[in-house]
Amino acid sequence: MSLPPDYSNEISALNREILKAQPSDVLQFCANFFLRRLESQRAEFLLSQQHSSQRGGGMAESTFPGSNPFGTSPSGGLSTSGMHRLEEEEENDAIASPTAASFPRSDMDNTQAHSDTFGNFAGFQASANRSQAPKAQLPSAVGGVDPQSFPSNYNLNRRTSVSAESLNPTSSLHDNWVPPFHQKTSEQQSRLKAAVAGNFLFSHLDDEQSALVLGALQEKPIPTKGIKVIQQGDVGDYFYVVENGNFDIYVNKSGKLEAGPEGLGRKVGSVGPGGSFGELALMYNAPRAATVVSTEQSTLWALDRVTFRRILMDSAFQRRRMYEGFLEEVQLLSSLTPYERSKIADALETRKYPAGTTIIKEGDVGESFFILETGEAEVYKRGNDKPVNRYKKGDYFGELALLNDAPRAASVISTTEVKVATLGKDGFQRLLGPVEGIMRRNDPSKVAALDDGVDPLAKAR
Amino acid sequence: MAAAVHKLLHPHHPNGEPPPQSNEPPTSPQNRQDLASMEYAREEEKRILAHWEEHKRPLSPGQITEDASRKIVGHSSTVLRQEDFELIKTLGTGTFARVWLVRLTNPQDGDRNKVFALKILRKVDVIRLKQVEHVRNERNVLAAVAGHPFITTMVASFQDPDSLYMLLDYCPGGEVFSYLRRARRFNEPTSQFYAAEIVLILEFLHEKEGVAYRDLKPENILIDAEGHLKLVDFGFAKKVENRETYTLCGTPEYLAPEVIRNTGHGTAVDWWAFGILVYEFLVGQPPFWDQNPMKIYEQIVEGRVRFPSAMSPEARDLISGLCTVDTSKRLGNIKGGAGAVKAHPWFRHIDWEALYNRKIQGPIVPHLRGPADTRNFDEYEPEPEGREPYSQDMREKWEDCFKDF
Repeated sequence: MSLPPDYSNEISALNREILKAQPSDVLQFCANFFLRRLESQRAEFLLSQQHSSQRGGGMAESTFPGSNPFGTSPSGGLSTSGMHRLEEEEENDAIASPTAASFPRSDMDNTQAHSDTFGNFAGFQASANRSQAPKAQLPSAVGGVDPQSFPSNYNLNRRTSVSAESLNPTSSLHDNWVPPFHQKTSEQQSRLKAAVAGNFLFSHLDDEQSALVLGALQEKPIPTKGIKVIQQGDVGDYFYVVENGNFDIYVNKSGKLEAGPEGLGRKVGSVGPGGSFGELALMYNAPRAATVVSTEQSTLWALDRVTFRRILMDSAFQRRRMYEGFLEEVQLLSSLTPYERSKIADALETRKYPAGTTIIKEGDVGESFFILETGEAEVYKRGNDKPVNRYKKGDYFGELALLNDAPRAASVISTTEVKVATLGKDGFQRLLGPVEGIMRRNDPSKVAALDDGVDPLAKAR
Repeated sequence: MAAAVHKLLHPHHPNGEPPPQSNEPPTSPQNRQDLASMEYAREEEKRILAHWEEHKRPLSPGQITEDASRKIVGHSSTVLRQEDFELIKTLGTGTFARVWLVRLTNPQDGDRNKVFALKILRKVDVIRLKQVEHVRNERNVLAAVAGHPFITTMVASFQDPDSLYMLLDYCPGGEVFSYLRRARRFNEPTSQFYAAEIVLILEFLHEKEGVAYRDLKPENILIDAEGHLKLVDFGFAKKVENRETYTLCGTPEYLAPEVIRNTGHGTAVDWWAFGILVYEFLVGQPPFWDQNPMKIYEQIVEGRVRFPSAMSPEARDLISGLCTVDTSKRLGNIKGGAGAVKAHPWFRHIDWEALYNRKIQGPIVPHLRGPADTRNFDEYEPEPEGREPYSQDMREKWEDCFKDF
């Protein structure tokens, strides 16, 4: 039976206080600490009761009486005049009042915030024990949640900023960074795929990115038991997937691995084949939250942050530049500024269709426009047996849908597997407003010309 | 040299009296002459620093973006040194910087109570933590935005062989964070007031400067002596204009989904964070939280915000619009930009013009004993001793990166 997390939080907060204050009378210090904590917790509880019972009348209003320009008539306009002197003094008194009772200052120590946020092990073994993740707490309905149901152990300290290495995309063709590739058998591939499938950092990747990332995982043999693969408190650069073998996970409450027989801390779990650990290292360099030790000869797959983020960045960067390039060719959108083009490129959605798919159908009401990213497609019009046109990479179709609700003038059917980038009229208008307005910028006659029935679908390009 | 310094010091006194030395024929060896004029320039610069606030008034966004050399603040000073400032108290610490409350050493009569915040960054730490690019961005963005009513004013920047310095206006009210934690949560009008001032900041940064701020949170928002906000810590601010950027940075609870997924991000991340901020104002804690940061990120990428039943429908609608995973649907990023946020019903009582001109009384006006009162700041531990030195090797490799500071 493990200790409740609230308890561990209190104890680690106390530990920090002790380290900082180095009190001579330890017992008295602890007693004071807990009294202070109790007082603050009760005060917060009362406040939250108050908040939920008097709708709209929150804490700030009652703490700063009369000081609020909105306070007297919440539905009225803003007062632009200064407030009465007397009220200001009342408010000042409220602010100057000692804060210690409701908010222990020592809890706000900046340097400690980090270890409190990341040092806790509560969810560390998430990927090893995914089914036990506390997701069940989330009610299915959005909204209507009682404030009391929020986790009450929210860390109230200052939060530390985080930052990864500054990465710049491979911009020129000459400086082409190629991700490392380590050969794997198809069984290893599918095992790895399954191992990371539940991890949200991987589940959003497209097929190409996924192949690159899995290819970059490097085998790391662990020759014997007792090897510390990661050490609590150390910098974290690698994420690991267990191919075979077994590892124990330990957490030392001090926040880092210490010397001596008890230095590992308490064992909190273990991870075997298909499990993974250290995924936070794929985001930025945070201290490791636990120590992981092999219990037998094992094999790991390792992936470092810079490689992972670089693969994601380069593919996103290339795709965006490609989309911007395609968009530049779209006549209807020729007057977009580079900023607007980049917004549209950001909003374009990638879709894949197998060969023989009818992407748009003649006579249907058009909703979206398409750019052909890879593959080929043919254009058919009713009454013609043969295709009237063929599309290849970079060609676009259906853009009149951005302009009006006229029916599609032709059908487009993929002849190979295709990848298209697509954006709906709604999406376009949300971002930039009606296309008509954008076209009128340069040449008011353009709109008229299009209304006259120019049909980009039919024109040979 | 002296002429350049003089120009720097008298941008708004084109016909002011020149320093006596510069017109006199050299009566002493050249280097003593230089030294003397340097000393004069230093004293003159300090005198102007002490009085910069008297010239302060909210500049219109257009005035702020005009030629930086015409502004009286935000320049890189070649004459100031750390010895020109007396360190009074630490106001805040970061991983590689420390902010001090300072006053001028040997102030002229009446300038004794003129105080500043001095942010000191040790070059060796900046390099070790790979923050060179971020620090350069910070200085350049702060110089560009100096004069905005709700952004900390960088009065000057300077450096010495070991450290970089940014001289900032002192905001005696302390962090919104402290008030929020003390109050547990803000009521709607208080939240609306602060949120509205933030909207004006983001509107300016995004639409006038092309800058993404990237670290919005209550810890980085201070309250000035009059009760208005000042956004501080531009360590992650970056001029992005119409190119996306990729470096992951920010604060875990406030990271936007596209930052976590590394698909490239821009100014839209600030609108996401703004939604989180409004939520934290109203609820007392951000919507996505877990002991394990990876679980926070999982929730963020999923993007399902739960609201307490007491929250008004307008507030929910605003936060839902801002905290939308799809950037092509995110309020603030869609057509209308900041204007669409300002037009949201939750802000219907805000007079935006009056707000920009600081004509609206804020809900919290700090009680102060004087301009140098630090009661609203927490105590910080003293700087650790025996830090790594800035070696000759490092200097040769990196010093060039700091040359414009």
